[in-house]
Amino acid sequence: MESTDFKLIVVGGSAGSFSVVSHILAGLRPDFKLPIVLSLHRLKHVRSGLVEGLSLKSKLRVIEPNDKEKLQQNTVYLAPANYHLFVELDGTVALSTEESHNHSRPSIDHTLGSAAYAYRDKLLGILLTGANRDGAAGMKEIADNKGFTIVQDPLSCDIATMPNEALKLFHPDRLMNPEDILHFLNALPG
Amino acid sequence: MQNSEKDYDYKEYLLILKECSPYDFSEYSDNSIDRRIKKIMRDQGLNMEELVLKTRTEPDFVEQVVEAITVNTTELFRDPQVWNHLLKKVLPTLKHQKKINIWHAGCSTGQEVYSLLILLDHLQLLDRAEVYATDISKKALEQAKKGHYFYNFNADKYRENFSASFEGESEPDFSKYFSAEPDKDHLKIRPDFSEKVHFIKHDLVKGPLPFYNKFDLIFCRNVLIYFQGSLQSKIVERFHENLFPGGTMVLGSHESLGGFFKTKFSKNGPVYHRTNSFHFKY
Repeated sequence: MESTDFKLIVVGGSAGSFSVVSHILAGLRPDFKLPIVLSLHRLKHVRSGLVEGLSLKSKLRVIEPNDKEKLQQNTVYLAPANYHLFVELDGTVALSTEESHNHSRPSIDHTLGSAAYAYRDKLLGILLTGANRDGAAGMKEIADNKGFTIVQDPLSCDIATMPNEALKLFHPDRLMNPEDILHFLNALPG
Repeated sequence: MQNSEKDYDYKEYLLILKECSPYDFSEYSDNSIDRRIKKIMRDQGLNMEELVLKTRTEPDFVEQVVEAITVNTTELFRDPQVWNHLLKKVLPTLKHQKKINIWHAGCSTGQEVYSLLILLDHLQLLDRAEVYATDISKKALEQAKKGHYFYNFNADKYRENFSASFEGESEPDFSKYFSAEPDKDHLKIRPDFSEKVHFIKHDLVKGPLPFYNKFDLIFCRNVLIYFQGSLQSKIVERFHENLFPGGTMVLGSHESLGGFFKTKFSKNGPVYHRTNSFHFKY
């Protein structure tokens, strides 16, 4: 089996992903150590409330980080509304208000691509359901940097555009439904 | 792959830029600057060697590079809860002053400059306001000075933010401040508002301000995020010097102050106030 010696998990998703992420956060072991970074598209007019919504069921702390904040264990980081979130080489978060990418801010490509470069084979990338092609290129970058990649099985997606776009670009390590992703994460050492 | 022709990396490029222009980006945060430079090369189809050559020989191109590096999008009343706090809690405390000095550091295309003018007008404080707005980008400043924005892309969001900023207050008519021409895709600020502001080109990273430098309010929103920690500290220290005691500093909603400065400013809701720092001198 492949190495599962991860230091960071990054998750991208858009339409339909809220319930998947919420389900995963609710089901994770309460002592789940690895920091998790979430880059999720938001509905245009619902800018706030996402962190509160995800916190409701999560056993882990869910926060919207400030710029230059250090990623820590037992914590879930949600890209703030209207900012891009990048992961830096020193394990901190960098925020940016530069132009939208694929009509999105936060852009999943930016989060995933920067984390791929910073964490290489210590990164686990997960791409969930979504209606946009943002995220596909970022997932490929994770694969290109020898990170581990899981794409949500399009058959289990509300809207499969995002996973399907990713599958055009590379071959992920796993194609999984949300339940299997949850089991996979809970089975990680540490 | 990126550095095929010659073995420059972006750090070396920044040294060249510094040498042949007034701009110094060496303390910008690595990730953002690297990405911006790659984007310039991609957009213009240049390799590093060509980029360096153009930078050395074409002053206009240097300005384009500066614009591309410092691109920063803004909107009217971005983060309405911040403006609502200013309207209800901060600006009313300035009512008794004869003059209100304001500096927007890194004003980009000006939307937040006009947001504040609207609040001041609403509180009938506009006459007393002396407003300076600076940015490193000539193009952004020109746009800010005009105060013309795209209607289709912005109008809905701007109106929504506008309403949310006046929550709990009597909301003025949006049309009092902006004229809208949807068919021409124009949304224009009142001309007397744009004339009210001193728009001045200034590089925050560089030295002293070219105008009177004590302020009641300093806005620097989502600019420091592009700087390394050491440069952030330097700039915040300068803001501290530039504020009257008790003066207010407004940063982006996900920017925070490091350890040392926490004693120099007190946080009040979404804004910072300069504390009476002599308490902390030894």
